[in-house]
Amino acid sequence: MALLPKNLSFSRQILPLVALAGLVLAVIYIATGLPDRELSEPTEEPPRAPQELANAARVAGAGVVEPSSEVIDIGTAIAGLVTMVRVQPGDYVTKGQPLFQVDDRAVRARVREAEAQIGEARAAIAEAQSAAATAARQLDLYRNVSDPAAVSRAEVIRAEGEASAAQNRLNAARARLQSAQAMRSSATTELGRLVVRAPISGEILAVDIRPGEYVSTMGGNASFIRMGETRPLHVRIDIDESEAARIALGEPATVSPRGASDRQVKASFVRAEPQVVPKRSLTNSAAERVDVRVLQVIYALPSAASSNEALFRVGQQVDAYIPARRNGATTDIVKPEADETE
Amino acid sequence: MIWIAIRMLTGDRQKFYGLLFGIAFSTLLITQQLTIFVNLLERGASGVYNVSSADVWVMDPVSRTTDVAYAMPSTALDKVRGVSGVEWAVPHIRATAAVRTKDGDLEGVAIIGVDDATLIGLPKRMIEGSPDVLSQPDSVIIDDVGMTRMFPDQSPIGERLELNDQRAVVRGIADAIPSFTSTVVLYTKYSQALNYVPGTRNRLSFVLVGKADDVSAQQLVDRIEAQTGLRARTREQFAGDGVDFIIENTGIPLNFGITVMLGFIVGVAIVGLTFSLFIRDNIKQFGALKAIGVSNGRIARMVAAQAGMVGMVGYGLGVLGTVGFIHAFSGDPTFKGFYIPWQIPLISLVAIVLIIALTGWLSLRTVLKTEPAAVFR
Repeated sequence: MALLPKNLSFSRQILPLVALAGLVLAVIYIATGLPDRELSEPTEEPPRAPQELANAARVAGAGVVEPSSEVIDIGTAIAGLVTMVRVQPGDYVTKGQPLFQVDDRAVRARVREAEAQIGEARAAIAEAQSAAATAARQLDLYRNVSDPAAVSRAEVIRAEGEASAAQNRLNAARARLQSAQAMRSSATTELGRLVVRAPISGEILAVDIRPGEYVSTMGGNASFIRMGETRPLHVRIDIDESEAARIALGEPATVSPRGASDRQVKASFVRAEPQVVPKRSLTNSAAERVDVRVLQVIYALPSAASSNEALFRVGQQVDAYIPARRNGATTDIVKPEADETE
Repeated sequence: MIWIAIRMLTGDRQKFYGLLFGIAFSTLLITQQLTIFVNLLERGASGVYNVSSADVWVMDPVSRTTDVAYAMPSTALDKVRGVSGVEWAVPHIRATAAVRTKDGDLEGVAIIGVDDATLIGLPKRMIEGSPDVLSQPDSVIIDDVGMTRMFPDQSPIGERLELNDQRAVVRGIADAIPSFTSTVVLYTKYSQALNYVPGTRNRLSFVLVGKADDVSAQQLVDRIEAQTGLRARTREQFAGDGVDFIIENTGIPLNFGITVMLGFIVGVAIVGLTFSLFIRDNIKQFGALKAIGVSNGRIARMVAAQAGMVGMVGYGLGVLGTVGFIHAFSGDPTFKGFYIPWQIPLISLVAIVLIIALTGWLSLRTVLKTEPAAVFR
């Protein structure tokens, strides 16, 4: 081509150059235009199996944190207006500590009424006693008279009757006293029942009652205060029933809360529920139906240093990894793997 | 000598440009049609390729593609997590829903629910906003092609939608390859998606799995299938499933394939005919060359040089045309994500070379047989 530098030919020189440049351009365009199908690492840490289980047989499950006593929905024995709430969420209460107080004015009035009746009965007893004493002395007097003509027979009979009647009045007054005392005791018991107390030591999880509100014994599952023993916390892990046979019960589980899956803790085995139950899904849909049954296994979480640093809270969802049984079902699964390596 | 051949070639401008145009047009036809064909088929795999971090997809045994999936019970996630070699596994829901726009229009959309905590399942890149916007209540992220369909000529950010009687606010735009049907896609969190999609008993469409470093995706697939009884596919396999589904269930491969085939044949015919005509027209010149004592081998080399020149220039211009075409339409939502697979220019190159060699050889036979005396007849 350099033979004819002056006679620049469009078809012999420019066009091939244009075509070459076009080819180079096309190669660059095609090379850079290829779609990006590289795999990328997730930006947020997903829940991963712990190191020691990474290549071992394992069972995974999801669960919910609960108090070791399970959640206790505190109810009331007597309906009425709440006058005082003694606790707030987060309080740690001891067994028997008052939680809230139902209006007790009516019962206190009944106590005072009973006390008045006791006083009245005591007065009646005193009166009856003095009457009985008078009647007894009178009867004695008549009986000690030696001269039969001095006292008529009729007088004696009347005195005997009076003494006996006085004695009966005394007995009746004593019975009234007992009755009034029983009434007071019953009212006092009721007074005690108006103060709702903690059935166990534990933490107050939720308070859904305020002074002035009406608490009712009717209405089923109304819970006014929720409490539970949170030292330690438990997790209830749902294991699919088809996986349940593989799980190594008794081994500790590795548990991480949702959204902080890099912070895994070891939870020690507590028990497996004897009953396999339908899975409770957490979609909160009213029309929810279930056909999956799960074995619930309970593990105890290690306690946190302080409540502010607590990783787990009651009701939180967690992901858990549990070692699988070494023998039995696991060997079936290893088989295809062995085939591959051959 | 070669230079004479080139001058011979370019001497008759009309024929030269005709030949060039024929080859360039054929290359353009073959390359461009094949590119569009391949890209259309790959739309079936876009759902898989949009999820950038999953090595393995786990689904119900009857599920076939990302859009034809039968939901599993939610414990399937834990079953998969229990398989050794599974580094992580997250839930993924894909469902269709009807959305009511602000104007009251009804539009069918695909809802994709990604894992709440890790947001695995979102496309790799965002056009506007960040994936974190999903942590705000009632947030959805719309895909860019869906945005142009649903909100033409306006920004969708902050727009309110109504999904299954629930509020949804568009807070981001994802850079995603559209699906075959170009359905509007709304990305949201898994838990939110459960509310947006009218309730059926089982909801979990897929479990996305990341593999541990020491197993291959295929090994993991075998393990998951053996242990859980679910169907597992590697990313490439599942992408292939999506393409196969389109091939099996639509007329695209047949109808479009016929067009591509016709384009190919037309291109080949133009190249073959024009080149063979050109050689035939020059038989006299070749005869003269032979008459002055040029050997057959040298004439063959001359024809090869002519073929090489016209083929190279024509092919170069044709590929340039294809690139220009794809580039010019890359802004159009219909062509979003279209690319030229590197195999296609090679296929057209091979086709052009083959056809030029074949026609060149056929026409050359007559030249080689030509008596030098032919020039005097």
